[in-house]
Amino acid sequence: MRLYTASSEETLRARKLLKEWAGDGILTQAQYQRLQQETISELRTTNIFLRLVLFLFTLITVGGGAALFFVVSRPSEQSSGVFFLIFAGVCYAAAEAVASQARLYRYGIEEALAVCSVIFLCAGMLLAFFSSGPYSPRQHQLESLVLIAGAIFSLWIWRRFGLWYAFLAAMIFAMFLPDYWTSSHSAQHVTITSLYAIGLILVVAVRRRHRFDYLATAYSLVEAFLWLGIYLAMNLQLSSLNLRAQWLGIRTTAASEFARPFYWTTWVLIWCLPPIVLARGVRQKDRFVIAAGAIVAVLTLLSNKPYLGWPRHTWDPMLLGILLTGIALFVRRWLDRGSGRIRYGFTSARLSGKDKEWMNAGSVVLGLVTPQSITPTQQKRSADFGFGGGASGGGGASGEF
Amino acid sequence: MTILARLEHWKEQGAISLEQYSLLSSLSRGEPFSLFLELNLLLYAGVLAFVAGLGWTVSTWSQQIGDVLVLVVLSATLAACFWYCFSRAHAWSPAETTAPSPIFDYVLYLGSLVWCIELAYLENRFHVLSGQWDLYLLATAGFFFFLAYRFDNRFVLSLALSSLAGWFGLTISHWPSHQDAAYRQYAMLYCVLVGVGGVLLQRRGLKVHFFGTYLNIVANVLFWALLSGVFNRQGYGVWFLALLIACGASLAWGLTRRQFAFVAYAAVYGYVGVSSMFLRYVTGDTAVLSYFVITAIAMLVLLVQIARRFGRPA
Repeated sequence: MRLYTASSEETLRARKLLKEWAGDGILTQAQYQRLQQETISELRTTNIFLRLVLFLFTLITVGGGAALFFVVSRPSEQSSGVFFLIFAGVCYAAAEAVASQARLYRYGIEEALAVCSVIFLCAGMLLAFFSSGPYSPRQHQLESLVLIAGAIFSLWIWRRFGLWYAFLAAMIFAMFLPDYWTSSHSAQHVTITSLYAIGLILVVAVRRRHRFDYLATAYSLVEAFLWLGIYLAMNLQLSSLNLRAQWLGIRTTAASEFARPFYWTTWVLIWCLPPIVLARGVRQKDRFVIAAGAIVAVLTLLSNKPYLGWPRHTWDPMLLGILLTGIALFVRRWLDRGSGRIRYGFTSARLSGKDKEWMNAGSVVLGLVTPQSITPTQQKRSADFGFGGGASGGGGASGEF
Repeated sequence: MTILARLEHWKEQGAISLEQYSLLSSLSRGEPFSLFLELNLLLYAGVLAFVAGLGWTVSTWSQQIGDVLVLVVLSATLAACFWYCFSRAHAWSPAETTAPSPIFDYVLYLGSLVWCIELAYLENRFHVLSGQWDLYLLATAGFFFFLAYRFDNRFVLSLALSSLAGWFGLTISHWPSHQDAAYRQYAMLYCVLVGVGGVLLQRRGLKVHFFGTYLNIVANVLFWALLSGVFNRQGYGVWFLALLIACGASLAWGLTRRQFAFVAYAAVYGYVGVSSMFLRYVTGDTAVLSYFVITAIAMLVLLVQIARRFGRPA
């Protein structure tokens, strides 16, 4: 089912690990060079920057090519749909060809072609089958087939090419499905949660077999996405924000409009989920699931007051900051007191040079972004009081108190 | 063959020692599992949330709680942070140094952000410099540069560079509404100052590992400034020429130093600039779309050649 053989992907993984270990000084240069010879892969890869740029230019090529075709031939709406479906097929075939013949692996080109095939498929189905005819509830329901096709095709691409964001796309398609099936907002939330829960059960069952192989990270990421998806679908305060609807000017459902038993059940669930996710992440030693657990825990703290209808205070972020810092310090100290700075198989020490690279890159980016993001929005202003500008340093150079 | 099987095989071959085998197989199984990144992220998020809350509280409640209390609390926090940093820091070294404690960098970062809040509060309440924000920004940038070099901290270096950019009238959020000539000149001046400063500091061996930060920031600001010149209705020729030269330099730097971010900058910014020039003279959907298809294919061919020759995973 996968486009690349397990041995090819394992070889690439081994090659990457060898480089990391040599960089950390665990392997000597001579050992590294010798072992590198044993991990030569036929797959062609590139670095992240060229991958991104190749992805971008492939998108421009394919998008421009399709647009050019429609501008020149000016087909009818339904014919356009058929052409889109043909383009989807062509793009998918091209993605398969460059991956299997040219052996491109995470090269940007095959990824963009696969992404375009999903977009064209959905656009094609919508135009070919649902563009004509008057609106009817039946047709509205049938339009969900487009999303189902998008979700299934995205899942196929995730499985076939191993692209993590294709799984995310499938989750997003699934998120909009209940809109077509029911008008009850509670039922929509339950449906999305159920879909993600089914996905989670399947992933948990499958990933047991891949604990230490090249698929471990892929399944870990997917599981983290599903946990996050379940949480976001359950948290009515976050769902009621519904940014998409706000942008489109659609009226959103306020959290208070849900039935009270449903509302309070979701409140209980958003408190239950973070410890479950964190416990699972810690038990599996799974970095992405731990991160998902931490994110949902913070989101629960942030949305608890709105849930209970309590007023927010300006010092709430300070308390959150103290709590997060306190937890970090406590865990670090607790781990450091273990023998060899290890407790239950966990350590706070840095074991890989990669962590330091991430920290360095992150600190530069976050250091530049932070001053913009921490600047509070204007709350109150009296005639004689204007705490404006925050232009001091990076600290809120753009903001006004 | 999984990595564990490979390690077993290499041990049997004698390619790695028994000690190396046990260490590497443990690491591959996640034993021990390092929470280094997670704990650092938690600390960072904690500091950020705290400072955001502090700023929000001060701006909302200062009239009720009074200037004295606000200033005392801010000054005490500031003093505590800097006392901690100066008392715990290792002796200064021009080379890369490690932080004396895991929380050191975050305490310094907290102190730096509180400094910003206190300075903003002082000026807005007491108008000490009569609204001369430029001077605050310059002084703050200087102070942050000192802290960054004294304590070897990239967070604070980024703050210093953004403060200096602020002094030059540059802020990321204000960028789209100020594409005037003066603004562009300030951006160029900023690039020259930061670029030359970075090179001089690197040549003198002072915190050489900071050089990449300087270079990336300078490259992005420079390309934005040049592009804004290319987008001008008049007098864009010089800017276009400068953009091409910058793209060439960025490409050459990226390829020779194997820093592919600069190759990506050259490709993307260069493409945007050339496209904007082309689209000035060409109208009509067919011509425009043909242009995009042909040039994007040309870029793909070029980039694939670069990737095949130079661009193995870094």
